[in-house]
Amino acid sequence: MEWCAHIAGASDLEGELSPARLAGFEPSGTLRPALELTVRLIEERFGGVRFSRGAFGNEFCEHLLPAPRVLEEARAAVRARGLAFTFLTPYASDTGIRALRELLPVLDGDEVVFNDWGVLNLLRRDFPGLTPVQGRLLNKSLRDPRVMGLYAEAPANGPAGAATLDALRRSSADCESYTGLLARFGVDILEMDSLPQGMDFSFAARGVRVGVSLPFGFISTSRVCMAAGLHYAKAEKFQPGAPCRHECQTHLVEYTYTNSPFANRDQKFLLKGNTYFYSHTAAMLRRLLEQAAHGEIHRLTFQPRLPMSSAPGGSGNGMCA
Amino acid sequence: MKITAPIRALEELEMLAAAGAQELYCGIVPEEWTSRYQGAMWLNRRSPNGSGVASWAEMRRLVEEAHARALPVFVTLNAPYYTEAQMPLVLDLARRLSEEAQVDALIVSDINLLVRLSDEQLAARLHVSSVAAMLNSEAVRFLLNFGPSRVILPRSLTLAEIETITREAGRDVEIEVFLLNDGCAFEEGFCATTHHHSVGAFCTSLSGMDAAFEWSRGPLRSRRERWLRHNLADYREWVWYVNGNGCGSTPQGLPYGPCGLCAIPDLLRMGVASLKIVGREASPFKKLASVRMARDILDRAGAPRLHVIERAMSLRQEPEHCASGYMCYYKVDGAGPWRRNPLPTVAAR
Repeated sequence: MEWCAHIAGASDLEGELSPARLAGFEPSGTLRPALELTVRLIEERFGGVRFSRGAFGNEFCEHLLPAPRVLEEARAAVRARGLAFTFLTPYASDTGIRALRELLPVLDGDEVVFNDWGVLNLLRRDFPGLTPVQGRLLNKSLRDPRVMGLYAEAPANGPAGAATLDALRRSSADCESYTGLLARFGVDILEMDSLPQGMDFSFAARGVRVGVSLPFGFISTSRVCMAAGLHYAKAEKFQPGAPCRHECQTHLVEYTYTNSPFANRDQKFLLKGNTYFYSHTAAMLRRLLEQAAHGEIHRLTFQPRLPMSSAPGGSGNGMCA
Repeated sequence: MKITAPIRALEELEMLAAAGAQELYCGIVPEEWTSRYQGAMWLNRRSPNGSGVASWAEMRRLVEEAHARALPVFVTLNAPYYTEAQMPLVLDLARRLSEEAQVDALIVSDINLLVRLSDEQLAARLHVSSVAAMLNSEAVRFLLNFGPSRVILPRSLTLAEIETITREAGRDVEIEVFLLNDGCAFEEGFCATTHHHSVGAFCTSLSGMDAAFEWSRGPLRSRRERWLRHNLADYREWVWYVNGNGCGSTPQGLPYGPCGLCAIPDLLRMGVASLKIVGREASPFKKLASVRMARDILDRAGAPRLHVIERAMSLRQEPEHCASGYMCYYKVDGAGPWRRNPLPTVAAR
């Protein structure tokens, strides 16, 4: 199995490359417990971890695309540490596609995670030397943390029967026709989230490789960004794709599910920029690490931050501060 | 440019046709599905209770009578994904809809299902749902490999983005866009939550949750927190609009909710093929009122822009909601808070 570190920039790689050190980059007191728990459970299950790959970029917002120079520096730093390089890309408007067209020539033989079929089309047609990897946004399994964990806890008498729970643990990847289609386009690695209801990786027996990020899963994302609204007059707020000042880089919102109809009224959801996340619970992490130890997972990507980092000097969307 | 209306029962057909609907779409959930799957595992993005055509016999009659009025009928098979165990049921349903019921198109989201149905070469055409999140012209080009005749664009696209896609791909595939009713606070195709009645939509659920802010550059002082909470209140107001103004209606019973009426002249100019009215599960009156509003504006789309905007606002009957800008699908120069020219010059004619 391969370990991958999701870095925010070249400077992350100056020093020891361990989950514990990487986790120390996150200044948020809100996020630290999830990261510390993850580091502890990784160490308990695997002991020391040797990273062989570095990932850079983001999957959720085209306004956070880096400048070509920044991408080049991140890639050079990753390669200098002897690691393979993966560039994460978001879903995109035509403007984002144009920006990617200028960024991708920086890469050479690297992996690109696509979360948009248009990005895959671009990769296939104009950058055949890059290796496409399907991103987790194109894995359509429901992962609503408000209820999916409950489904898993009480499959017999809960809100879902056995067939429902079984289906909720799968995705299109369950179908050979789908993984065959991806193979036609040169895709044989699928990134996924660890699902609150558990995951069925039986499709991996067909030779498909699975990558999972930890400890944050995405819930939902939007072209309308609440944080970006901070600098607009009320009537101008919340327009899809509106330029921003990268307010997401300094602001985090933690929601508590106080209005739950169930007992999980202390459950937390995280909002960073345009995307909501959940933290993996200890049970989810243990299950995921166990599946990894049993060879069901090809790659685990450790995210020492919520994956919404903007590299310095990145993204020109006209308003970056 | 056609008006595509939702329908869930044969008894709605006559009124929708008379009001000016030119295409219809609906869903149906067979008993084989509901007996196997419960909770959040939905066949077509709607709860099987009360949003679809009730029986196979009614579906056949609906299509027959719609065709007699020259109205095509499209059926949703638009779950984000289907598993291998579900696929035989879904493919069989698709074949029956196409060959027995003779529906005109199947609306799909899952690219795997699109490919499978493309291989089947059914008589029914294939429409790509907005849930497939075709946000750019490259993505539309990619899907053209699998033979769809229409792509329904996500409602988060701006008019400029719709124009780009229509210009780049509109010759090869029909483009449908959202016109009226439900919004979506998130990118529909990238929202991994459920709208199951036990918890409701995540976006509206968030509005009732406690929210704590963190600022990475230091302690959160009261002035900054007030600023953040003010923005949160605005956001929650926006979500309220997106959610059909709290699922409300005007005192006259007309539907609220996201609206693109003012954009019809722009969409017509761009070559958009069809305007989608949302709400298979909505009341017959809401559907009727929606089609009438769409028809009214489409019939006068060639009028000067401000006349169209004024007419659209008068149809909505609640100018303060139009003026908020939060009820608009599309930002249109001269409408909502982006109004640059005062309307009274038109009103005074």
